[in-house]
Amino acid sequence: MKRTEKIKIKLIGIALPILLLILWQYVVSAGFVSHHILPLPGQVLTTLVRLFTEEKLILHIAISLRRVIYGLLIGTASGFLFGLLMGLSRTAEKIFAPTFHTVRQVPLIGWIPLIVMWFGMNELPRILIVAIGAFYPTTLNTFSGVRDVPRRYKELAAVYGYKGFKLIRRVILPSAFPSIITGFTLSLGMSWVLLIAAELLIETIAGIGKLIDVGRDTFNMELVVAGILISGLLGFTMTKIVEKLVQAVQKGRVFEQEL
Amino acid sequence: MIKNSLKKLELKDKLLALIVPLLLLAAWQSAVSLELCSPLLLIPPLTLLDTLLYLADSGELTINIIASLNRVLVGFLIGGLSGFLLGLFMGLSPFLDRFAGPLIKASKQVPQFALMPLIILWFGVDELAKYVFIAIGAFYPMVFNTYQGVSTVSKRYRELARVFDYRGARFLTKVILPSAMPSIITGVRHSLGLSWMFVVGAEIFGADTGLGYMMAAARNMFQIDIVMAGLVVIGAIGFSINFILQVIEKRLLVWRFSSDQGASK
Repeated sequence: MKRTEKIKIKLIGIALPILLLILWQYVVSAGFVSHHILPLPGQVLTTLVRLFTEEKLILHIAISLRRVIYGLLIGTASGFLFGLLMGLSRTAEKIFAPTFHTVRQVPLIGWIPLIVMWFGMNELPRILIVAIGAFYPTTLNTFSGVRDVPRRYKELAAVYGYKGFKLIRRVILPSAFPSIITGFTLSLGMSWVLLIAAELLIETIAGIGKLIDVGRDTFNMELVVAGILISGLLGFTMTKIVEKLVQAVQKGRVFEQEL
Repeated sequence: MIKNSLKKLELKDKLLALIVPLLLLAAWQSAVSLELCSPLLLIPPLTLLDTLLYLADSGELTINIIASLNRVLVGFLIGGLSGFLLGLFMGLSPFLDRFAGPLIKASKQVPQFALMPLIILWFGVDELAKYVFIAIGAFYPMVFNTYQGVSTVSKRYRELARVFDYRGARFLTKVILPSAMPSIITGVRHSLGLSWMFVVGAEIFGADTGLGYMMAAARNMFQIDIVMAGLVVIGAIGFSINFILQVIEKRLLVWRFSSDQGASK
């Protein structure tokens, strides 16, 4: 009974995409919309298959992933340290938080012209934009997670004489962990959005954003739609991988506690 | 006496908050005075102020601000409103939730900037394309937060509403919306924030007015003063939008805080 219920919910969920696909196929093949404006689903699929058999796509993906990974590492690592500092010390919070919250109001894309002028048209500005995007969510969530460590934990730690690094590693970080992970997940999503923006707005020769833009320049609609799907697929895969990692880590923690 | 010491504390906090800006300003000024970096890349703080005044005075700034704000407003209204309605209905109807929810969640995986080339091919390079792009940015936070707020309306409220025989519009305006309001306002805030980012992106990508355009054009002509001035202006507007919404939030949710206090007594 329960199983059929689950299947039913899944079926309702895929009904809309299927209906849209049929509608898409119908409006194009019936001639309401030219296939130059909206390529047929089949055409997009062929383009996708063709792209995946070519080496070039792997190169585009690899270059985009490299930018995201570097940017994410720089942004989340510095965001984590900064958030930790503000969370641990009220004075540090009072000194840095007002400036941080003010600067944060600048829409991230707005940094692009300045960063390009400062660092030129190479990889660095693209990585920096991704890093800025990754920086804010991790900072905010690390900060709130560390600040909100329950007092009881801190008191207990004081009883055991935990101080300094040991206190941070044994008490503060485990307690703030869920919040930090939330920050990291948000950072990941943000960095992926900003990467595509950076690849479109800062001249480049490769990357998923560039692939889509090439499609636009050459009026190759199949390529544009295929590129969009690939970017979504990659974003989805990365989110899923992080989710699985988090689950694995959390399971490990529960096990430790039970021991 | 307590009041006095509180005031002292507040003053101390304000002074602490000034440390970083002042240090940055000092570093900036000395980097310029000591000629540590090219004047092409960094202008003195006072020159930035001059540039801002000049841009404001020439009317250029006003035109571009109005162009950007106009796009944000239209895009946000389209995207925010449709997100709100869809979120509301999905929150009210489990069927619609199961029907449309998976597709909306899946489509959010696409980084929205990837859609910009497609939107330009479909809608051209004029205003409509920008409205659509901003609307897509505004849509997602609104739909998720409205849904969140509506679907988590406490069961007690719904039951009480049934006892009083509240139905239709009355049920919506008296029970569902007030209860979902905090979440909806969060949605508006995120949605407007994203709209503000998306308009700048769309204008850098291709436009002939707007703050993003102003900065992109200045970058091409290597006018660092205008790029920096633009950054200050978009930051200030982003700040104001957020500030205004916080004030509205406090006003609208006043009942919430007061009822909390009542409950604690």
